[in-house]
Amino acid sequence: MENSTVLTSEQITSDLLPQKFGKRGMIWTGILLLFCAFGAFAYYRQLKYGLVVTNMRDYVSWGIYISNFVFFVAISLVGSLITAIFRLANVPWRTPLTRISEIIAVSAITFAALIIIVDMGRPERLLNLFIHGRLQSPIIWDVIVISTYFCLSLFLLYITLLPDISILINAREKLGKPFSKLYRWLASYWKGTTAQEKIRNRCITIICIVIIPVAFSIHTVTSWLFATTYRPGWDSTNFGAYFISGAFLVGAGGVVVAMYIFRRYYNLEKYITEKHFEKMGRVVVLLALLYLYFNINEYLVPAFKMKKPEEAHLTQLFAGEYAPLFWFAILVGMIIPIFIMLFKKGRKPLPMFIAGVMVVVGAWFKRYLIVTPTLLHPFLPMEDVPASYHHYFPSWEEWAIAMGSLAGVLLIITFFARVFPIISIYKTLTDKNETQQSS
Amino acid sequence: MKPSNHHKLFILVLFLFGTTISKINAQDSSAAESSVNLRYFANNNNIQYLLVQSRSKVGKKFQPLPKRAVQVYLDSNRAEDFISSTVTDETGTAKVLIPTTLKDQWLNSAKHKFIAIMAATPPDEEKTTILEITKAKIEIDTSTTDGTRTIKVNVKYLDNKDWVPAKDVEMKIGVVRSTGILSAGDKESYTTDSSGTTSVDLNKDSLAGDLQGNYVLVAKVEDNEHYGNLLIEKTVPWGVARKAEKNFFDQRTLWSTRFRTPPWLLFMAYSIVLSVWGTIFYLVLQIVKVKKMGRTIRSQT
Amino acid sequence: MENKSTSRRQFLAAGILAGIAAGCSSKKNPFDKYAGDDVKASGETVKLLSVDGEIIEMDKAFLKPVPDLPTISNSEERKGINGKKFAMVIDLSRCKNVGACKTACNHAHQLSPGQNWIKVLEMQDADHTAPYWQPTTCMHCDSPPCVKVCPVDATFKRQDGIVLIDSDRCIGCRFCMAACPYSTRVFNWGEPVLEKEVAEQHYSCETSIPQKKGTVSKCDFCPDMARKGELPHCVSACPNGVYFFGDMNEDSVTNGAETFRFSDLIKDKAGYRLMEDLGTKPRVYYLPPVNRNFPFESGLENESPEDKMTH
Repeated sequence: MENSTVLTSEQITSDLLPQKFGKRGMIWTGILLLFCAFGAFAYYRQLKYGLVVTNMRDYVSWGIYISNFVFFVAISLVGSLITAIFRLANVPWRTPLTRISEIIAVSAITFAALIIIVDMGRPERLLNLFIHGRLQSPIIWDVIVISTYFCLSLFLLYITLLPDISILINAREKLGKPFSKLYRWLASYWKGTTAQEKIRNRCITIICIVIIPVAFSIHTVTSWLFATTYRPGWDSTNFGAYFISGAFLVGAGGVVVAMYIFRRYYNLEKYITEKHFEKMGRVVVLLALLYLYFNINEYLVPAFKMKKPEEAHLTQLFAGEYAPLFWFAILVGMIIPIFIMLFKKGRKPLPMFIAGVMVVVGAWFKRYLIVTPTLLHPFLPMEDVPASYHHYFPSWEEWAIAMGSLAGVLLIITFFARVFPIISIYKTLTDKNETQQSS
Repeated sequence: MKPSNHHKLFILVLFLFGTTISKINAQDSSAAESSVNLRYFANNNNIQYLLVQSRSKVGKKFQPLPKRAVQVYLDSNRAEDFISSTVTDETGTAKVLIPTTLKDQWLNSAKHKFIAIMAATPPDEEKTTILEITKAKIEIDTSTTDGTRTIKVNVKYLDNKDWVPAKDVEMKIGVVRSTGILSAGDKESYTTDSSGTTSVDLNKDSLAGDLQGNYVLVAKVEDNEHYGNLLIEKTVPWGVARKAEKNFFDQRTLWSTRFRTPPWLLFMAYSIVLSVWGTIFYLVLQIVKVKKMGRTIRSQT
Repeated sequence: MENKSTSRRQFLAAGILAGIAAGCSSKKNPFDKYAGDDVKASGETVKLLSVDGEIIEMDKAFLKPVPDLPTISNSEERKGINGKKFAMVIDLSRCKNVGACKTACNHAHQLSPGQNWIKVLEMQDADHTAPYWQPTTCMHCDSPPCVKVCPVDATFKRQDGIVLIDSDRCIGCRFCMAACPYSTRVFNWGEPVLEKEVAEQHYSCETSIPQKKGTVSKCDFCPDMARKGELPHCVSACPNGVYFFGDMNEDSVTNGAETFRFSDLIKDKAGYRLMEDLGTKPRVYYLPPVNRNFPFESGLENESPEDKMTH
């Protein structure tokens, strides 16, 4: 790599060591904590009064908690994409992106699990899922695959961290005391011998192979929570692939946003270079086109037939109450980012960042559109229920909890970056050595 | 006149009529009248009993009066003719059986009066009702000719010491179902002729019976002015035997319980879970191995 | 113990008095036959007089107007009544949206304000077809999509065909609500509005009382009434005899006043089930709204205010 050749090993190490929060870091963390606390307060109210504090009712029985859940599961897929697929495909420029994507995966899947508990009417009965678990239910499939994916992602994160923690232990004078105990507890046994290195490499390869089908299954099963019902808009054989392509897109968009922010505020311009944005831009365009393709499939085919139950749902999306949101999600979530990133100028860091934000925001609303409008179009007319059951707009508690969970994901990532190097030092050093040797 | 005008007039009359009725109803509802009602039952010519109903009439409807004390007497309200003292339940009903002490008096006459006195409960005054019953017997007989199954029911009443045919007794004849009586023929009800007999040809072919193919025929007289409620049953092997559903809970379907998961699903789930978690377990073992290596290196240095 | 003949006589007496028991209710003892099956003998006997003046001995337990039924364990409630296959027939030609079914049902199951297990829907299948009222209960499907998706066996299918919910097990995930194409399920979003004595009552899946916060509920075909030998509340409350309830194993249904052979009724009036194409196999059958007893418009007055707003 042209940039890293000029860098010495010492400089790389010192550049990439975790840094203390500056003033901005403190404000950022403070804001996130505030959001989390507010969300926690809203959840306290929900526990006290029941789900009645939400605006979900008998028809719209799933609201933004579930769409947020789908969003988190989607974005967590990126861990497998960048690390596993890029590694197996031997993509050379992946190094500075892998850890970012892995921590996004771990934190998002953690909050996916939490938000689904928030959605439960009886969270204290969570254990029933294990005591009385019924293998016929897609929810149990989801419980199994999500916990598996969580373990695998955490494992992957840990095992790729090992040599770095070892470096952190050695750099104690520089880092000071704060986390040295944690580092030693985690990796004091890591000596970096060839035998150890050999096993570690093999482990990473095995995880990378295993994690791909597991990642596919988490989102496929999540899509089946909808597709196994009869509802218009959900009753689709296309749903698994549709969800996964969307997940890859939002995950990649999320990584682009994170890359930009880390590069900017951790001064990593020498490591996350314009070239990385250039390459990621191509990837995102490809994924956006793929997702667009599945969207056309998902809406054009039923719209062509306009079956009676689908008709009300589709017209609401295309030209009715949900049309602004629908076209926003399509345009901002896919089409505009594609147009930005198709051009070389668009693949510069800043436009990429904007496009990434658009992808992520569009994706969040897309999940909302997948969940809610369908529920407002049941097969039988909505009658003999209070008037408020005919519409849905989240209550402040729902917003607070949803925003709190999003803040929680960012908080985990922020804390992680405070404790561990967000770009693998060890891998950057090995890459450097390899390129030096080959040149 | 055009027919439409007729219609209008008709509707107007109906409307006026309707409003008057509703006014009358409104008046009635303000003055609810309490009463006690007696019904006599003799099932299968066995134990006879009385049902006491304490109720109030609101408009056209009866509403139960729960928890009312009622005294019941046979023939006269003398102490020695006392049958029972009872309190009606939540639904305003109570059941009264005739004690063995009244045996002689019961056998004494063919006709009996039952007297029910509901104690005064302010604002309601004491209420009395009298039910007169003639002892009656009901018999059921079946025959099959040329493949037609016929049910014959005969009703007799006691005239002094003789049992004589009871005519013009209306009854339901049919098959006992858990949801009521399914009429044996086409008619809702049947009436006895001068011989006290009525018969009906069963037109319910291959009707479901119990596990053995039996079902119960019933003839039921409801609230007859002379004889009260009479009921007679007869079990006949005319039904189609129902097959006992033994394996309902053994079915392995997607809607069965967690103990009855379909085998293909079990196979898929277990093979996937075991292979993935087997791999994870293997990976953990590898880490443990790496850990041990690290320790030995440390101890060497 | 007593000799054989006494116990046989007792058994006969039990059958007779079971009839008495059902006769106590204002309905015309619809479940005559088997109501006595579950009555627990007390062991104490009394002497009684027969029509012919004979003295007959019988168990005290059968003398009560409503016999005490033994309390049923949760596992019995999950199994259901042996030998029964309950079904319902709803005659659309008789419905004029009186709403008595709803009121009786809501009261009997102590539903909170705003909740309805029975929804009387204003239906019109196409622009130029006739509108009609469609009372909609739980379909108690034989291939129930809601039961398929329940992660914890909180909703289950019984051998008597009824689909029930165990609110003591439900985790409130609401997947069943999304899965039900008939939108029949209702959720207790907040603490149910209950009188204190009802709230403190022991919970039973068969009575569905008391309702519990954060759990799903729905029409349960009143299995507690069936055990007592009575009809579901909606059936007995309907002034127009719209609802027929019965046992398919006996091939008959009744609305309290009329009893029909189920197969004849369905054949003669061309009965059908809702959304047959989904393969859910409902246990509720509808008779088409032909030769109606009431014009459709006469039911509009009974419509709830919320629904008027939304039309």
